[in-house]
Amino acid sequence: WSEMKVRFRLYSFLTVFQAHRRFCELLPPEHRSTEESLQTRVSLEQILSLPELKANPFKERICRVFSTSPARDSLSFEDFLDLLSVFSDTATPDLKSHYAFRIFDFDDDGTLNREDLSQLVNCLTGPGDDTRLSASEMKQLIDNILEESDIDRDGTINLSEFQHVISRSPDFASSFKIVL
Amino acid sequence: MTSRDRIKAIRNQPRTMEEKRNLKKMVDKEKSKQSHRILELNCCAQCLNSISRAYRRSKNSLSELLTYISLWQKTFKVIGGKFGTSVLSYFNFLRWLLKFNIFSFIVTFSFIIIPQFTVPEKNTLQFTGLEFFTGAGYFQDTVMYYGFYTNSTVQHGSSGAPYNMQLAYIFTTGAYLIVCFFSLLFSMARNFRNNFINPHIYSRGITKLIFCWDFTITHERAVKLKQKNLSTEIRENLSEIRQENVKLTLNQQLIHVLAHLAAWVVSTGVAIACCVAVYYLAENNSEFLKNHQNPGAVLLLPFLVSCINLATPRLYSLFRLVERYETPRREVYILLIRNIFLKISIIGILCYYWLNIVAQAGEECWETLIGQEIYRLLLMDFVFSLADSLLGEFLRRLIGMQFPTSLGLQEFDIARNVLELIYAQTLVWIGTFFCPLLPFIQMITLFIMFYVKNISLMMNFQPPSKAWRASQMMTFFIFLLFFPSFTGVLCTLAITIWRLKPSADCGPFRGLPFFIHSIYSWIDTLSKRSGYLWVVWIYQNLIGSVHFFFILTLIVLIITYLYWQITEGRKIMIRLLHEQIINEGKDKMFLIEKLAKLQDMEKRANTSSFSMERRDVEQTSPLHVREHNAAHDLRFRRSVQEENPKV
Repeated sequence: WSEMKVRFRLYSFLTVFQAHRRFCELLPPEHRSTEESLQTRVSLEQILSLPELKANPFKERICRVFSTSPARDSLSFEDFLDLLSVFSDTATPDLKSHYAFRIFDFDDDGTLNREDLSQLVNCLTGPGDDTRLSASEMKQLIDNILEESDIDRDGTINLSEFQHVISRSPDFASSFKIVL
Repeated sequence: MTSRDRIKAIRNQPRTMEEKRNLKKMVDKEKSKQSHRILELNCCAQCLNSISRAYRRSKNSLSELLTYISLWQKTFKVIGGKFGTSVLSYFNFLRWLLKFNIFSFIVTFSFIIIPQFTVPEKNTLQFTGLEFFTGAGYFQDTVMYYGFYTNSTVQHGSSGAPYNMQLAYIFTTGAYLIVCFFSLLFSMARNFRNNFINPHIYSRGITKLIFCWDFTITHERAVKLKQKNLSTEIRENLSEIRQENVKLTLNQQLIHVLAHLAAWVVSTGVAIACCVAVYYLAENNSEFLKNHQNPGAVLLLPFLVSCINLATPRLYSLFRLVERYETPRREVYILLIRNIFLKISIIGILCYYWLNIVAQAGEECWETLIGQEIYRLLLMDFVFSLADSLLGEFLRRLIGMQFPTSLGLQEFDIARNVLELIYAQTLVWIGTFFCPLLPFIQMITLFIMFYVKNISLMMNFQPPSKAWRASQMMTFFIFLLFFPSFTGVLCTLAITIWRLKPSADCGPFRGLPFFIHSIYSWIDTLSKRSGYLWVVWIYQNLIGSVHFFFILTLIVLIITYLYWQITEGRKIMIRLLHEQIINEGKDKMFLIEKLAKLQDMEKRANTSSFSMERRDVEQTSPLHVREHNAAHDLRFRRSVQEENPKV
């Protein structure tokens, strides 16, 4: 335990303790020792089975953003700890808005263009046919979003514009939260 | 930077654990290189350093522990998982008010009630069960009410320190009021700073709907419901935007204005009628009580007040059918203002009645009578809330289930519930002077209300369908708690202490011409002792003199004016920077188009010269791709560059 405390000095001890306990529950029983748990990686399907993430519309994007494996399909304990610390109460709004931008950037190109935004809206409204917006409604919505957020009028929202928009919504920090 | 700040700065970097650890190693190496050059600190500075480090570490671990064992943490997670952060804000507010009451109770218990327990007087009255409802009878001669407290100086044995009950009573009241005042002020200021960043562009709130998905909701059905509600709300917002450009005819505008006017006249009329009814009943209460010997008859006035508090807000909500507002936010604010006006006028009328009529009617122990009235009001309010939650909402759900499409399940009315909490807290603050055990009673009430509301919420309600700006509304509620509520309490208590004559036979201030004379006589005794002259000096020249307050007010006004001018300057700066960004964006687009045109011309020149060889096919496609990539690259590089200066 003292070794873990030293290794994870950047985070509070209680967060590390709780995160480690939940992470070990996902591993098979023979790999649950402290040594192995820090080395093994957990596949995406298992992380997605956590009750806090199971119902979230953005669960795949969250896992992909925090994964450091080359194929981006598994999470180590450190990635898991990163995830929890960003979604905790103690993370600054800057940090949260940075990761929110990466989660909403579906094609990972560093900006939110029209396709990213329309995929985002489809995630928000759900998979059913009656809740999805029609093409004209989607166009009007994306036009309105870009009108409000795109300051330099280049048709995409970059990180600074996104953070500027988020800074005007004080509810963001309290809703971008996952509690273990 | 101290090491703690360094760790915090590294933790707030948006990088993975590996990168953060490498960064920390590099920074530590640099720091250790530098520290070799700094001379050894002398042992005094080292000692201070280690003390401050230990203090900071203990403070951090204590705050961590507090959030871990915070009250009702698991329940909050369940409520948030099913209903989202908006309903959670009501329960947070309830927990915050509970902290106020716990603090008041601890202060009054330690400084007033415990000393009174050591000099008990005999209680000769009989105990019947009705005391819990009327507050009178047996409870009259207990520590519950002002009248029981002694006005003597308590001293145990010849060596014990003397304890002046009069001073203790008035100082305890002052102490917890001052702490509540500063705590409210700081919460309000912190909320204002975080939530009222003034946008110079009017934002319709569409981006808030899209970018602020509530990640705390974990219940599957709640997520599906929220998605459906979000889709409906987006469609409604879009149709509102489409209709914004449609101008109303003069006739329609006139009808709207008339409807608003009528609604305001009716609501103000109803509020005034309720106040008149309450005053009339209160005035005739004493004769009514003499005619009817039933001890339960004192409950008539609280019963009427609670009925008014139950029925009138629902009447105000019905006005929604007649009035049309431009934005739903304005509707919520106007409803809140009407409800607050009603509740504050009722409390105002009751205070006027108590301070002008009851206090000066010449009865024995009028303070205890007022304390009993407040106790009965609070109790009746609590009983009505319980009945509403347990029976009313349950019946509403049964009725709603019969008509699946039209009425459906009800939604938790956050505004109405928070106003009820504010009303109860106002009464508690006024009543603590007359009934020191009142914070304890309110603590128990809030505890029970939490569990009752929680159970009722889980059983009878569905998640909210419209987005609710939780932070803005919370700021508004804390402001309401401060401005009409707490300042009204301060005014009432100030009038009591400075203008009213205490009763002659009971309580710690018996026999004095005014309550404040206890302080005057204390200052007089202090001025005779040589060691405490500085206290007398402070009292006479700072608290008692007008010049000091005049200068203080002037300084505060000057500072406020300067800050206001700084804010105006910053707003102008923001506007100019905004225009500059738009211009830079246009420049960038212009340059990209020019680059594309040049590349186009170059490609055409190349293809015309190499038209014989088939290399143009291979060249045009990489050139095309390179063109798109150039534009793409410029945008990506720009966003990456913007990230880097932050590191």
